[in-house]
Amino acid sequence: MTAIDQATVFRRLRRTLAVNGLRAMFETSRLRLYTMIGTSALVAAFVFGLAAFGFLELFGSRIPAKGLIVAGLFDLMFFTLGTMLLFSTGIILYASLFASPEARFLLATPARADRIFAMKFQDAVLFSSWGFVVLGMPVLVAYGLTAGVPAYYYPLLPLFLFGFVLLPGSVSAIACLLFLRYMPRSRKQVIAVAGAILLALLAYWIARTTSASRAALLENNRDALESFIGQFKLARNPLAPSHWMTNGLMEAARGETVRGVLLPLALLWSNGLLAYLLAALAARRLYRTAFDRSAGGGGRAKRYRGNLLDRAMEWLVFYLDRPTRVLVVKDFRTFRRDPAQWAILVIFAALMLLGVRNFNLFSSADIQGIDRYIIGFVNLAGISVLLCAGLSRFIFPLISLEGRKFWILGLMPVSRRQILVGKFAFAATGAILIGLTLVVGSELLLGLPIEGVLVHALTIVTVALGLSGLNVGLGAYLPNFRETDPSKIVVGFSGTVNMVTGLGFVLAVVAMMALPMHVAATLRHFKTLDFSAFPWWVYLGLPLGVVLGAVATLLPLRAGARSLERVEF
Amino acid sequence: MIELLDVEKKYGTKVAVCKLNLNIRAGELFAFLGPNGAGKTTTIKMICGLLFPTAGTVRVGGFDMKQSGDEARKLISYVPDQPFLYEKLTGREFLQFTADLYAMEPDHARRRMETVIELFHLHDFADTLTERYSHGMRQRTVFAAALLHEPKLLIADEPTVGLDPKSIRELKVLLRNLAKGGTTVFLSTHTLDIAEELADRVGVIHDGELIACDTVEGLRRKADTDGTLEDVFMKITDEAAGGSDGGARLAEATA
Repeated sequence: MTAIDQATVFRRLRRTLAVNGLRAMFETSRLRLYTMIGTSALVAAFVFGLAAFGFLELFGSRIPAKGLIVAGLFDLMFFTLGTMLLFSTGIILYASLFASPEARFLLATPARADRIFAMKFQDAVLFSSWGFVVLGMPVLVAYGLTAGVPAYYYPLLPLFLFGFVLLPGSVSAIACLLFLRYMPRSRKQVIAVAGAILLALLAYWIARTTSASRAALLENNRDALESFIGQFKLARNPLAPSHWMTNGLMEAARGETVRGVLLPLALLWSNGLLAYLLAALAARRLYRTAFDRSAGGGGRAKRYRGNLLDRAMEWLVFYLDRPTRVLVVKDFRTFRRDPAQWAILVIFAALMLLGVRNFNLFSSADIQGIDRYIIGFVNLAGISVLLCAGLSRFIFPLISLEGRKFWILGLMPVSRRQILVGKFAFAATGAILIGLTLVVGSELLLGLPIEGVLVHALTIVTVALGLSGLNVGLGAYLPNFRETDPSKIVVGFSGTVNMVTGLGFVLAVVAMMALPMHVAATLRHFKTLDFSAFPWWVYLGLPLGVVLGAVATLLPLRAGARSLERVEF
Repeated sequence: MIELLDVEKKYGTKVAVCKLNLNIRAGELFAFLGPNGAGKTTTIKMICGLLFPTAGTVRVGGFDMKQSGDEARKLISYVPDQPFLYEKLTGREFLQFTADLYAMEPDHARRRMETVIELFHLHDFADTLTERYSHGMRQRTVFAAALLHEPKLLIADEPTVGLDPKSIRELKVLLRNLAKGGTTVFLSTHTLDIAEELADRVGVIHDGELIACDTVEGLRRKADTDGTLEDVFMKITDEAAGGSDGGARLAEATA
C-alpha cells in the first residue's frame, strides 16, 4: 500500500472528528443536541409561517406588480444573506487560520498551506451557512408552496444555495488573506476608519430607504413602489450573484425555460468555484507569510487603566461593602475590555431602536394603533430573550471560570457568599440598565400609553433580576471548573439546563405580567371589550410575576451559595 | 542540520532576535537557554517555519525554510510548550493522522504506532478521546506523535512541564538515545539541570542576541566559574544585562 494524499488525510480527519463529535454529543450532551435541533426547527417553522402568511396576503391582494415585489424581496434577501456570509466567513476564517492552536500545529507540519486553508474554508462556510438554511430555505419553500411552483423547484433549492455560498465565502477568504498579508502596521486604525465609512454609508442608505418606503406606503402607486425597490439596485444589479439566485429561482418557479434556470445556476457555480480556486491559490502563496505577519505585527501594547465607567459601576453598587464592590468592578472591567462580549448587544439595540423609529414614522401614516401594542409586546419579548441569551453567555460561566484561579479570590478577605453576591449585583445592574433603557426607550418612541410603559418596565426589571439570580445561582450550583473556554461551558449540559430554565422563566413572567394588557388592547380593538381605562384583571399577573421573579432570584442563589461553600479547590 | 545565518526578527519596531548565527550538526543535542522574552520561542518558530526571519536565512537539513519549507518540515517534529491535540480524536486516531500527514507507508505506520504506544505507555488511554487526558497524558501522546515518523530534527519547547519524575527520567533517556541514533535534538528549557545533564552544547540567548554558545565546560571557562550551569547562566546573563549580581539584587529586594 502507498501513502495517501493530503486531501484524503484531511477528509478523513474531518469525518472522524464529525463522527466522534456526534457520538460524544449523543452520549454526554443529548439534551444540548435536541435543544439545538429543536431551536433551529422552531426558528425555521416561525420564518416559514411568517413568510407563507406574507406570500398568501400578497397573492390574495390587489397590489400591482406582485412578481416585481417578490423578485425585489428575494434580491434583498439573498443580498443580505450574502453580505452576512461575507462577514461571518471572514471572521471565522481569521480566527481559525490565524488565531487557533490548530493552525499553529498544522503549519509546523508538512501540511500544504492550501490544504489547511481548504479544510478551514469548508468548516467556515458550513458553519456560517446555517443561517441561510434556517432563515432562507423556509422563505423559499413557503414561496414555492403558496405560489404553486413545479416540483423540480424544490430539489433545485440546495443546488442554488450551495453554489451561492461559495462566492461570498471565497471573496471574504481572499480579502482576509490579502489584508493580513499586506496590512499596514496600524491595522486597528485602518479597521476603525473602514468601519466608520461603512457605517456612514449604511446610515445614508437606511435614511434614503426609510424615506422611499414611507412614500411607497403613503402614495400606494407603482412609481413610488419602483422608487422604493430602486433603493436596492445594488442587489438587483445583473452582475450581482444575489440577482442570479433570484432569476434562477423565479424561472424555476414559473417553470418556463430550462435555459432560464440553468444559466443562473451555471453562473453561480462557475463563479463560485473560480473564486474558490483563486482563494486556494492565494492561500498557497500568501497564507504562511500572512500568518508570520499577523503573529509578528501589531503596534505597541495598549496600556489599560481604570476609567470613568469603572467608577460609575462602583457607584451603581454603592450598597455593597468595599471588597464586594472591588469584585464587581473586576468583573465589569473584564467585560468591557472584550468588545466581542458587548458589541452584539450594541448592534441589537441600535437595530431595534431603528426599527421602532421607522415603525413610528409609518404608524403616523395609516397603520392602526393596535400595532403599537403588538410591536411593544414583541419588543419586550425580544429584549427578554436577548437578556436571557446574554446572561447565559456571559454571567453563567463566571463562577466556573474562577475555578482555576480561585486561590486568588480564596486568599482575599471575602467570603464565598460575598463573591456570589458580587456577581449577582454585577449581572443585575447591567441587565436592568440594558433592559430598562431598551424597553422604555423603544416604547416612548412607539408612543405606547404610560400604563403600558410602566407594566413593561416592571416586567423587564423582574426578568433581569430573576435571570441574574438564575444564572449566578445555577452557575455556582452546576460549575465546570475543568473548562477554561466560556463558550464550551455555555453549551455544556449545565449551560443548556440554565438556558432552558431561563427561557421558561422569561416565557412565564412575560405571559403573566405583560400579556393580559395586550389581550385587553386586542379585544378592545376588535370591539369585543369596551373600556376607557384598562380593567383590573390586566394587573392581576403583576404581583404573581414579581413573586415568581423573587423565587427565581433567591432559590438558585441560595442553592449556589451552599454549593460553593462546599466546593474544595 | 540547522543553520541560522545573520537571522533577525522584528515585531513592529521591537527586535526579538538580532543577528543570530548558529550551526547545529546532525545528532547533536543542543540546549537553548534564556530568560523569559529573550527570543527562544521566536527562534524555534523560525526553525519550524511558523515565522520567517525579517533578515537572514534559516536552513534545516539543507532546505531554506522560506523557499522549501514543506520539504524541510518533513524532517522536523515540533513539540511546543502548550501542545495541540484534536479533542475529538483518540490518541490512536491522532497518531494515525500524524502518520498520514507525514505520508508514511501504512504497514510501517502501524508498526511505528505500536512502538511509540509501547514506548510512551499509552495503552491504557490510546482509545479514549484526548479531551479527557491529563496534561501528562497529553504530553506523552504529543511526544509519541512527534517521534512516530522518525524525524531528523526534534524541537522541544519546555518538554518536561507537567510530567512526573518517572516520565522526566524516561524522557531524558529517550532524548539522549535519539541523539545517539543521529536525530538532532533542539531543546529549549528553563530546567538547567536537564540541560547540564543532557546537552552536547548550550546556547544562551538574551534580549534577542546569542551571548554564549559552547559545551557546559566551555561556558564554565568563559564565565570563569566552577559552579553549576545555573551559576554560569546567572553570571552570563547578568553580565549581558550590564548589571551586577542579579541573585544578590533579588536577595536584597526580598530581604
